[in-house]
Amino acid sequence: MANPKSAPLRKPKKKPNPLEKEGIEYVDYKDTALLRKFISDRGKIRARRVTGVTTQQQRQIAAAVKNAREMALLPYTSQTR
Amino acid sequence: MRHYELMVILDANIEEAQVTPTLDRFLKGVKDAGGSVDKIDVWGRRRLAYEINKSNEGIYAVVDLQSEPGPVAEMDRQLRLSESVLRAKVLRPELR
Repeated sequence: MANPKSAPLRKPKKKPNPLEKEGIEYVDYKDTALLRKFISDRGKIRARRVTGVTTQQQRQIAAAVKNAREMALLPYTSQTR
Repeated sequence: MRHYELMVILDANIEEAQVTPTLDRFLKGVKDAGGSVDKIDVWGRRRLAYEINKSNEGIYAVVDLQSEPGPVAEMDRQLRLSESVLRAKVLRPELR
């Protein structure tokens, strides 16, 4: 074993490629089609471990979603159960 | 001079033809103070994600402009006072 310290209890699961890296440098709050990929059915912002983007990108996404919500482009919540 | 981006949601009861004149009224102060309006993009009627002031629709418009900060602050104030404006947001896109 090269590194016995990290006896894998659970496989770290290789990060899915940050699909963000498809040419988007600036997350625009007006681009609701893009932002919808980062919110759940209920309108909640998806966690970083789900989206697989970098910390910086996640913050941009969060800010963009919040701006979009203020302008009624995205819902704060979606249809209560 | 700074670059600002303004998004406005106007009351859906405003006639289509009145949209640009209404916007111009708010932008006048910026122009008079030496600013310039680069682009007005009227999205038109659009469904709101949630109800604002009992209405489910609004007329969206996005404006790109160059101005000093002062006139923009005044414009923002006027937008918030106006009853025909449901929402307004002024951003500086570069600041991210």
